[in-house]
Amino acid sequence: MAQNQRPTSILDSLGEEIVRILTPVSICMFLVVILVSILNTDDSSSSVTSIATIAYAENSSDSSWDKFVAFVVLGFMGGEIILFLIEKFSVPIDSVTFFVVLYNFAVVGVLAVFMSKMAILVTQGYLVVIGMLVAYWFTLLPEWTTWVLLVAMALYDLAAVLLPVGPLRLLVELAISRDEDIPALVYEARPVTHHDSDSTNGIVQRRVWRERRNIGHDCADNMNSVTNSNSVRSDHNDTGLAGAEEGRIVERDAELSAPLLDHIMTDHRQRQEDDASSESFLLEGIGLGAAGAIKLGLGDFIFYSVLVGRAAMYDFMTVYACYLGIIAGLGVTLMLLALYQKALPALPVSIMLGIAGRLGLRQISTYMRHGSMSNIDREVKR
Amino acid sequence: MEASESTSPIPNNRTSIASSTPVWPTIDGPLGLSEDESLSYARRFYMFGFALLPLLWAVNCFYFWPVLRHSRSFPRIRRYVVGSAVGLTIFSALLSSWALTFAIGGEGLFGPVWDKLVMFNLADTLGLTGF
Repeated sequence: MAQNQRPTSILDSLGEEIVRILTPVSICMFLVVILVSILNTDDSSSSVTSIATIAYAENSSDSSWDKFVAFVVLGFMGGEIILFLIEKFSVPIDSVTFFVVLYNFAVVGVLAVFMSKMAILVTQGYLVVIGMLVAYWFTLLPEWTTWVLLVAMALYDLAAVLLPVGPLRLLVELAISRDEDIPALVYEARPVTHHDSDSTNGIVQRRVWRERRNIGHDCADNMNSVTNSNSVRSDHNDTGLAGAEEGRIVERDAELSAPLLDHIMTDHRQRQEDDASSESFLLEGIGLGAAGAIKLGLGDFIFYSVLVGRAAMYDFMTVYACYLGIIAGLGVTLMLLALYQKALPALPVSIMLGIAGRLGLRQISTYMRHGSMSNIDREVKR
Repeated sequence: MEASESTSPIPNNRTSIASSTPVWPTIDGPLGLSEDESLSYARRFYMFGFALLPLLWAVNCFYFWPVLRHSRSFPRIRRYVVGSAVGLTIFSALLSSWALTFAIGGEGLFGPVWDKLVMFNLADTLGLTGF
């Protein structure tokens, strides 16, 4: 059973992974910019308290409380924003339809985000929508509050993830040691699978650190390993074992293919074990590369979009400059992720570059509008 | 092993007969559910959709799109997915006809009740957007 192995370059798989994270981030920012530019109203200060309470509630770890908060975010915040839009455009929708649609939207949203095995696209879409809604509400904060909040969050993120006593780092390590998903709203990009892996009927793992547990079983879901695609062939036998574990019917295929490939299995197995152990060591939960998906916290989506949304209140060149800064920052963060192979804070670099973009553009536009500063002085003195 | 009726013994379905049955019932393929899990998911989505949740039926149809497309695959799942599709069309037909009648008919058809039912007036009266 010869399989064509498409020679895959690192560029293919890494580039694909990066694009799969950049796309939803860009979509979220784009939607927030659109909302802000359509509904660009005056700043209302009373929304601050409601945002604060909801943001605080989101940090709670009780699972049903999480669902309730998500429902509130989707239902009420989403509803309010849709009401704003309805009023702006005078859409003649009636209340019955409106409430039915809103109820549907909120319930399916909660299910999508909290049920473990929902359609990936639906889950991703709803996560982007939640990020967009919360980000829009944050842009209603007064201007300086927003900037200070962003910088403070960036610094907190830096401290919380990198310091050994940082709460986020402890959380991630706890989740890894317990072999669980991180109990938070996390956007997970679809893992990149190559074409050869389509035919192996293996289970593609989405939670990467499980591999470290299963080195003994060779739960070989490194379908798209950057380093070797030969492991795909040995997957047949291995998925047999994994199949027994997870009660799948893949065993049948493993048995059929095993006799043919048995002689190749033995030495591949050996190599694969080494590869698996080294690779799964490389993939710690949030790693780049093989079967694991890149995970980006929803808070990162939210604060990127807040920055860009706030920039949208000035003009579109600022938006573009901030967007470029954030994307560059995210690229840098992903590169560092590939380098250091551990959980990294996604906020600091992007926010610093975004703010630098905003300030830099302001300087440039002031300069362009008024010529050099000496001209202004001359005019003032006159 | 009831699964054998739907999983083809040839792993690579793309190159075999054109109308072969898909191996994976969900749209996510190998990232999605196995057949037994998807049966319970399909059934649950179908049942919950009756709580005025046509969007759940829509998600059901979207998620199990391979089941819908290939008419002879996964007979047990297919029952629920087709039921969801039927429920979705009926519900959306009803809802859209009501919404369109309301929007197009306007005050001429409904009289003063229209002003009370329309959303932007209702939002103002209830103070939903004024904080």
